[in-house]
Amino acid sequence: MSGYIIQRCLQAVVVMFAMSVIVFVGVYAIGNPMDVLIPLDAPQDVRALIIARFGLDLPLWKQYLVFLGNVAQGDFGRSFVYAIPVLDLIVSRLPATLELTLAAVIGAAAIGVPLGIWAGYRPDALSSKTIMGVSILGFSVPTFWVGLILILTFAVWLGWLPAGGRGPVDVVLGVEWSIFSLEGLSHLLLPAVNLALFKLAMMIRLARAGTREVMLTDTIKFARAAGLSEGTIVRHHVLKLIAVPIVTVFGLELGSTLAFAVVTETIFSWPGVGKLIIDSITSLDRPVMVAYLILVALLFVTINLLIDLAYAVLDPRVARSRAA
Amino acid sequence: MKFAKLLQVSAVALGLGVAAAGASAQTLTVGVRGGPESMDPHYSALGVHADAMKHVFDTLVWSGDDLQIEPGLAESWKPLDDTTWEFKLRKGVKFHDGSNFTAEDVKFSIERIPVVTGPTTLLIYVRRVKEVVIIDPHTVHLKTDGPAATLPNDFVRLFIVSHKAAADFSTKETAAGGFNSGKAAIGTGPYKFVSWEPKGDLVLERFDGYWRGKGPWAKVVRKEMPNDSSRLAALKAGQVDLINYVSSADWQALKRDPKTDTFLADSVYVMNLQLDQRESTPKVYDLDGKPLAKNPLRDPKVREALDLAIDRPTMVEVVLEGLGTPNNQLMPKGFFGWSAKVPARSPDPRRGKALLAEAGYPNGFMMDLYCTSDRLPGDGAICQGLGQMFAQIGVKTNVNAISRSVYFPAQAKKEYSIFMNGWGTLTGEASYTLGSMAHSPNAELKLGAFNRIEYSNPKVDELLQAAGRELDAPKRKALYEQAMDLIMADRAYISIVTLQTVWASDKGKLKMTPRTDEDTLAFFITPGK
Repeated sequence: MSGYIIQRCLQAVVVMFAMSVIVFVGVYAIGNPMDVLIPLDAPQDVRALIIARFGLDLPLWKQYLVFLGNVAQGDFGRSFVYAIPVLDLIVSRLPATLELTLAAVIGAAAIGVPLGIWAGYRPDALSSKTIMGVSILGFSVPTFWVGLILILTFAVWLGWLPAGGRGPVDVVLGVEWSIFSLEGLSHLLLPAVNLALFKLAMMIRLARAGTREVMLTDTIKFARAAGLSEGTIVRHHVLKLIAVPIVTVFGLELGSTLAFAVVTETIFSWPGVGKLIIDSITSLDRPVMVAYLILVALLFVTINLLIDLAYAVLDPRVARSRAA
Repeated sequence: MKFAKLLQVSAVALGLGVAAAGASAQTLTVGVRGGPESMDPHYSALGVHADAMKHVFDTLVWSGDDLQIEPGLAESWKPLDDTTWEFKLRKGVKFHDGSNFTAEDVKFSIERIPVVTGPTTLLIYVRRVKEVVIIDPHTVHLKTDGPAATLPNDFVRLFIVSHKAAADFSTKETAAGGFNSGKAAIGTGPYKFVSWEPKGDLVLERFDGYWRGKGPWAKVVRKEMPNDSSRLAALKAGQVDLINYVSSADWQALKRDPKTDTFLADSVYVMNLQLDQRESTPKVYDLDGKPLAKNPLRDPKVREALDLAIDRPTMVEVVLEGLGTPNNQLMPKGFFGWSAKVPARSPDPRRGKALLAEAGYPNGFMMDLYCTSDRLPGDGAICQGLGQMFAQIGVKTNVNAISRSVYFPAQAKKEYSIFMNGWGTLTGEASYTLGSMAHSPNAELKLGAFNRIEYSNPKVDELLQAAGRELDAPKRKALYEQAMDLIMADRAYISIVTLQTVWASDKGKLKMTPRTDEDTLAFFITPGK
């Protein structure tokens, strides 16, 4: 097992290295950020001075080496737009995204999986058909539209919940969270629901498909023959057997939502990292884009590693085949 | 407090509904499209940055509602000779920490800018200053690198920080930290800094010792909400009292809404079409998509034909839904150097077609038109409109309305032939606009830096250089007007519309005079009743 982990870590380093080159070249190809950032009326000497100050007069390979050298010392550079170290900027906005994402993904899994199992367990019941029908909506209606409808309904017409923004924050374990006050939760509810809808639909469908397949297997027949109650069968056998694909999707969804909750964050003015990255793309804030994409790559590599380890726990065959 | 919160939440749970965070009469909550980039006023020259900074800091020279220059921290100014300006400073002005504002702070601020400024650089506003000489605590002499007639105009963006509070926070590494934490964010402005984080809320508290008097709001919160629909929803939900940059579609609806007030102002932004004047240009083709022998945009007849194709009133009424005014020159009406002599432009596609035939293109030609789509309200839509109008005179136009992050780098590399973006005359006078766009590119004279079509008219160059040396205002104005007449007659720059900006608030909630520079300054906004 430890050999496997070391091997995956080495792979991760290679992936990160390749990613940094791709990101750097890609971001470079968009154009010179100084053409967007320097005021249009800046005279020629001021332009030259500023371009040189930010090291953008160097050839690409030199800029990349300078960047690598700084990263080796733990320095991802400073944001062109905000003048503060990029890592500070990203870390300061991470809790906001983290609580939104966790609320959405965990909520989706906690509601979606039981509903999906029910729909798979009783495929012909009216309730199951309703669940499946509604889940199609979750898939097909675009997030930005649902977001605006949610705001319109619950904030503008009914006035129950705030239209956007994050609630007051409390410092817990040195990090600022908004989920420990009722007002904070009231701010969180709408964006979390908006973000969760698509994932909820996906969880329902995954759980249903898995359950229908498992219900037909010999395992279930023998369990029933052994006289186990239906509840025990669902909880101990069905849930365990359908867990592998659900954990995979759960992990990847968590990652992609953490990284790219852009639409929801923009519509609900949620001060998270998704909004940060979209803003840095439009202003060509190169240090933020590069650092962010590299951190996202790191996030996915880590999540994939954790998923692989979770497989081994959920399905002993995986661990055995790797040990061999 | 806790009980009240509990009540509110249970009311929500019961479905009774409570207006969210109702703002008290003493607090002004504003939903703004863009916020500051730092709490350091010297970091960025961006308009939204200055808008936020003007709450905490003062500028040496004040820019009025219509960009006319007025006394600010400086009470008066006059040129002493060709390279010296004397500024008399206001007495009795206090910083938020109680210390006095003196000439030392002015010198410190001017010398600090080149050290800490970011890529959206403020250097452009102080680059003419060679030396700051303190004569007495309330008099400074500024030595410039040559005659600098517009120095007071440049200083509308010269924010004054406290030389004591900011002393330890004036390097590239320490500036943002010191100001964002509030330690150095000590100004002479109407509001004291409370808290801010990038993209988050800017919270401000009234400064009772402000030299203009006490502000009308005890507390001001500026919430950054970049999405137009979200900002409007926040207003309708009662979360904010006032929003800026209402989109033209929403404005149409709000005008009919009895619960909302709207405020409308001309902006400083004019949409200009720019026609490449180089011998050969990359994005103009014959009708089969093959390169042309010469650049048709160099032919005055072709340029006039394109101008005649543009129906400005339709552009305003239909494309911008009324949010703009037709314009025929590079600056909005009434700015210093705006010329009444430039003839009004009216559309005449038939004559345009005839002119094209005279120029040797009876069947027209083909071109790629590039514009920004995410920089100013309506920029992408105007671009589409132009494409259709040019098609009417037989010029097949491929419209490319693209993100500014792609547009400006390519435009700087001169990859486009015909392109449109807005230009804001932020200082309210012509040297800023004409000096950048209409003078032929000349690095030595630092002129023509944004002339990306290589437009060159020796007569215009001569007039602009003369105006730059002329310290007498009426004479200078006449020179700029003459230059403007010539530039617009050449039609290498074709101005289309002046954009307008809209604010919205709850009916009767507040009174404000909309500002041309689009700032939303809490000090000048008063409660409705």
